[in-house]
Amino acid sequence: MLKAAVSIAAKDLKLVLARGTGLIQALLLGLLLIFVFSLSQQIGEKMSAQAAAAIFWLASVFCQVLVFNTLFSLEEQNGARFGLLLSPAPVQAVWIGKALGGFVLLLCAQAVFLPATIVFLGQSVSHLWHIGLAMLIAIDLGLILLGALLGALSQGQAAKESLLSIILFPLLIPILLAGVRIGSATFSGIIPEGFGDWLGIACAFDALFGAAGLLLFGFIYSGEE
Amino acid sequence: MLLKLDKVAKLYGNRLIIKDVSCTIEPATVTLLAGPNGAGKSTLLKIMAGLSEPTAGKVELNVENDNIGYVGHQTFIYPDLSAIENLSFWSSLHGKKTDEKTLLAALDRVELKRFAFERAGCFSRGMAQRLNLARVFLLQPSLILLDEPGTGLDVRSMGILHNEIAAAKKRGAGLVWISHSVASDLVRADMVLAIRDKQVEYFGEAQDYTPEAVC
Repeated sequence: MLKAAVSIAAKDLKLVLARGTGLIQALLLGLLLIFVFSLSQQIGEKMSAQAAAAIFWLASVFCQVLVFNTLFSLEEQNGARFGLLLSPAPVQAVWIGKALGGFVLLLCAQAVFLPATIVFLGQSVSHLWHIGLAMLIAIDLGLILLGALLGALSQGQAAKESLLSIILFPLLIPILLAGVRIGSATFSGIIPEGFGDWLGIACAFDALFGAAGLLLFGFIYSGEE
Repeated sequence: MLLKLDKVAKLYGNRLIIKDVSCTIEPATVTLLAGPNGAGKSTLLKIMAGLSEPTAGKVELNVENDNIGYVGHQTFIYPDLSAIENLSFWSSLHGKKTDEKTLLAALDRVELKRFAFERAGCFSRGMAQRLNLARVFLLQPSLILLDEPGTGLDVRSMGILHNEIAAAKKRGAGLVWISHSVASDLVRADMVLAIRDKQVEYFGEAQDYTPEAVC
C-alpha cells in the first residue's frame, strides 16, 4: 500500500510542480492574506505574536484547500480516478498518496509564508523555534489528513467543490487554535499556559482523523458518478 | 470462472438501468456485450469492474490480485505526463517493475514509440486511445473489460486492437467487449451477452447469435 501511495504522491508532485498553477495560486492567496493584514499596522508597529500566528495559520489553511482541490482534480480530467480505484492497492493508498503530496506542497508554501509573516507582520523567531517546528509538523499532519479526506468530496462534480471549505473550516478549529497558541510562543519566546494541553489536542486530532481517513475514504472516493 | 453475475440489478435514483442480469465470464474467452444505445451496457461493465455497486444481486470475482484491465469512455491519461511516464505510473501502481525497454516495447506495439517522450496532452483522440490500450495490455490483466475500445481508432489501429485482444485471449485472459459494430466483431467473440429492455435477451455461444435481433 505504501509503495502505491508513494507512486501517487510522486506523480502528483511532478504534475503540480511542472504545471505550477495550483501551487502558485495557493502561494499568492496566502501571501496576499499576510500582506493585507500587514496594512492594518502603523509604520514600525509590531503585531502581537498571537495575531501573527493566527494569520500564518489562516494563510496555510486557505493554501491547503487550494492544494487539495488541485491534487484531486488531477484525476478528473480523463477519468484516471477509475484507474486508481481499479489498481490492486487498497483505496486508502490514494488517501495516503494525496496526503503525502499535500504535505510536501504545504511545507513548500509555509517556507514562503513564514518569512513573509516575519517581514510583513514584524515578527522574529525566538529560541523556542525547535518547539515551533515540531508543532508545525504535528499541525500540518492534521491539516493534510483531514484535507485529503475531504478533498475527495470535491471529485466527480464541480458543484461539490464548495463543500470542502464549508466542512473543513469548522472541523479544523481545534488544531488551528493549537497552532495559534504554539505559534505565538515561537514568535514571542514565552511558553503559554496549558502548552501541554494544546500539544495533546494536536496529537489527538492527528490520531482521530488518521483513523477516520482509513475508515471513511473508501466510501467517499468511489467509482459512482 | 473469472466473474459471475447473479441476478444483478442497478437503479440510478428511481430509474431502472438493468435487472436480473446473470452471466459468467470464463478465462480465454471473448464475450461480446451487445445491445442498443442506453441499454445499460456501460453500467453493467462498471459493475463487473467493481466501479459501481449493484442495487441488487451478487457479483463474484475470482481474479488473482484483483488484476482487472478496464478501458472506459475516458482514457485515464495524465495530459501533462509523457506517454512513457503515464505507462510507468500505472505500471508501478499495479506493483509491476517495468524498465524503460519494456515500456518502449509496449508503446511500440501500439505504434507510439516515437512519441514516447512527448506530452500525452498533445496526442490526438486516436493516439490517446492507443496509449490507453497500451496501458491495459502492459499490465497483463486476467480480466479485461473494454467499453467501445475502437472509439477514435482508424482502420490500422483497429488491427492493432484486434491483435492485442487475440494475444490476451491466447494468454488466458477473459475479455468482455462492448462493440458498436457487433456484426463485424462477432467473428472474434466466443460468447455474446445481449441486453434489451433492461434485461438479458441472449447469453450463449457467439455462433448461435443473430445480431439483427438486438442492434
